[in-house]
Amino acid sequence: MTLHRLSLRLRQAVSQARHLHSSRSGQQLEALAVEPELPKELSFFRTRESDPACHADVHMGQYYTLSPVHLRTIFPHGLPSRFQLQMKTFNETCVMVRQPALELISHLKKADYSKPAVRYMFYGVNGCGKTLSLCHALHYCHTQGWLVLHIPDAHLWVKNCKELLPSSFCPSRFDQPIEASQWLRNFKITNEPVLSKLKTTQRYVWTKRESTEEGRTLAELVEQGMSRVRTSSDVVGALLKELRLQAGKPMEGREEGLRLAVAVDGVNALWGRTSLKKEDKSVVAPEELTLIHNLRKMMKNDWCGGAVISSLSQTGSLFKPKDVFLPQELLGEDGFDDMDPFVPVPVSNYSEKESESCYLYYMDRNWLQHPHSRTEEGKKELLFLSNRNPNVLERLCASH
Amino acid sequence: MSASTMCTTALSFTRTNGLCLGNYALSLLSRTATYSTALSTNNGKGFPNRPIRGPRRPKRESGAPRTEKMLENQDWTAVYPSAAPFKPSAVPLPVRMGYPVNRGVPAEKKGNLELMKIPNFLHLTPAAIQKHCDALKPFCTEWPASLDSDAACEEHFPIQLESKEFVSAGSSLRNPKTRVVTLKVKLSSLNLDEHARKKMVKLVDDRYCKETDTLTIVTESCPLRQQNYDYAMYLLTVLYHESWKTEVWEAEKTRADMEEYHWEDSRSQKNVLDTLRRMRVTSEGEEDPGAVREELLGQPEVQEYRESVTRLKNEGETEETMLQYREAVKKLLNV
Repeated sequence: MTLHRLSLRLRQAVSQARHLHSSRSGQQLEALAVEPELPKELSFFRTRESDPACHADVHMGQYYTLSPVHLRTIFPHGLPSRFQLQMKTFNETCVMVRQPALELISHLKKADYSKPAVRYMFYGVNGCGKTLSLCHALHYCHTQGWLVLHIPDAHLWVKNCKELLPSSFCPSRFDQPIEASQWLRNFKITNEPVLSKLKTTQRYVWTKRESTEEGRTLAELVEQGMSRVRTSSDVVGALLKELRLQAGKPMEGREEGLRLAVAVDGVNALWGRTSLKKEDKSVVAPEELTLIHNLRKMMKNDWCGGAVISSLSQTGSLFKPKDVFLPQELLGEDGFDDMDPFVPVPVSNYSEKESESCYLYYMDRNWLQHPHSRTEEGKKELLFLSNRNPNVLERLCASH
Repeated sequence: MSASTMCTTALSFTRTNGLCLGNYALSLLSRTATYSTALSTNNGKGFPNRPIRGPRRPKRESGAPRTEKMLENQDWTAVYPSAAPFKPSAVPLPVRMGYPVNRGVPAEKKGNLELMKIPNFLHLTPAAIQKHCDALKPFCTEWPASLDSDAACEEHFPIQLESKEFVSAGSSLRNPKTRVVTLKVKLSSLNLDEHARKKMVKLVDDRYCKETDTLTIVTESCPLRQQNYDYAMYLLTVLYHESWKTEVWEAEKTRADMEEYHWEDSRSQKNVLDTLRRMRVTSEGEEDPGAVREELLGQPEVQEYRESVTRLKNEGETEETMLQYREAVKKLLNV
């Protein structure tokens, strides 16, 4: 039934469709002349509304497209790797509008930014769409002119570190120059315009010969960190401190002041265990890493004028069993006490409508190759095998 | 010619004897007749002839099985007065046991080794047990009339002792397993206050079962049952008295040692108070910190939050408790 409706609508809306299906092109050409005006909805599963601020319940289950410009600026390092492969294959970036992200965006719209920052946390089973919901919310924040501090995966900072330098600032801590400088590079790409308007409030001395005076722009600070890789971790710490002090304060070009969105994916890495070892083969605790130490300070709600959006992740986590997904299990006692009180936002597997939409999207992109998967029976089989889990469904469709 | 006469004589012979030979036996008989006409003795059963060594013992015919003479209202305890192997001729049940070969049926009970191997309880039918009880009754005393329910037994006899007796015919009558004594008592029947109860549970560790509130002490270190019983009673006494005492070092009990989660003075309470104080800073100026704290703690949202956190920590984390926590935090932070 829905497939018939789909083909009808496709015929009507062909003028807007970027890819013509060769089998139907003959009939579609004659429909072009009859087409009076462009319909608001492209089809059952797509929406033309690409501004996250305007997304509402009516768009739930539909895919919206991210423009390449936005993509390069906001997400140089944020999207999951499988999603990036999908982007390259389909030549477009389409994200589904789902309930958890919409809920978060509505909270962000209504929040009072003179009060301390509220912490939100996405949780759910593996592969249910936490990271993409986070990215959707970040897209909203960026379009509203916020400063986006996005740590794409905190787990990457606690494992597989090639170089661990003892910190010059505090002798018991360790620096991670490569991770820090790479993150600063991506951070600059996202927030270049805003950074040039903010100024430092104190003097920072990096080495005997290098220092950053008071009143220099934060863009310069970031440049300093990117060029002098040895001190990049301390630069990150200084940057976080500056942003914490200046969030909510009035800013040139914005009458409501600077808004800061701190987004951390895999936040349970901050309180878990690391797989890094010191020279004497003893394990490094997370708080002994400068980056983690500074990030933990950022997660507290002692600053105003922004929000902390985080998501839990078992996938990259260390020493956690595969089936845990609830916040207390992944964060541990310490993590829960540090983040308390936070607003947990549950993310579930696809609903009926969403899974329908996902299947139609893959059909539209010609992604399902096996002839049986294009039938109603095949669709039911795919949804049953994947239990409507987005990640599993995507992997199944990729191999069929 | 001779073969056919042999056959007819054999046939007439079997008929007179009342035996019934199958076709197979007949064919065998005729075959033997063709091969060995010299030794033409047949033994009525149709089996090939064997040279007889020694005095010949005539095989007895077995009579009708006992089952055919049994009445419905017979005394079964006379058939199986004690444990005995399965006797197909004495058990009047059409029992079959075995693997159905060639899509057939399980083998019948006659000569069935499987039925003979397994233990049977044909000597312990309800009638037999009734007889045992009737025999033992003169040696028993009356059950006290006031102990008519489990609750009454619990109330008057809170301590339950278990020990095993072993009877076997062997070179020695003694069995080392008889020395084990198990003592079970419910902690609710002991006079313990909160501190004593928690200390008792910590002292006995694994021996306490939370679901049934039972303390189980198993003693087997002494060689005699009497000694083990005395030791178990001694342990119970000592545990009771020790848990009532409060040592000096018990004051150093930390949050990690606590059995349950208390929200008062916890990180969670501190966080909430800090957050709420910061949320109010914009409106009020100087205020007495103690009064502010009391006021903040008295708010219904804070109470609800406290309930949800306590439930989350004590009952463990589930979808339901998480959702309750979510609602409480949303109300608290005005989200």
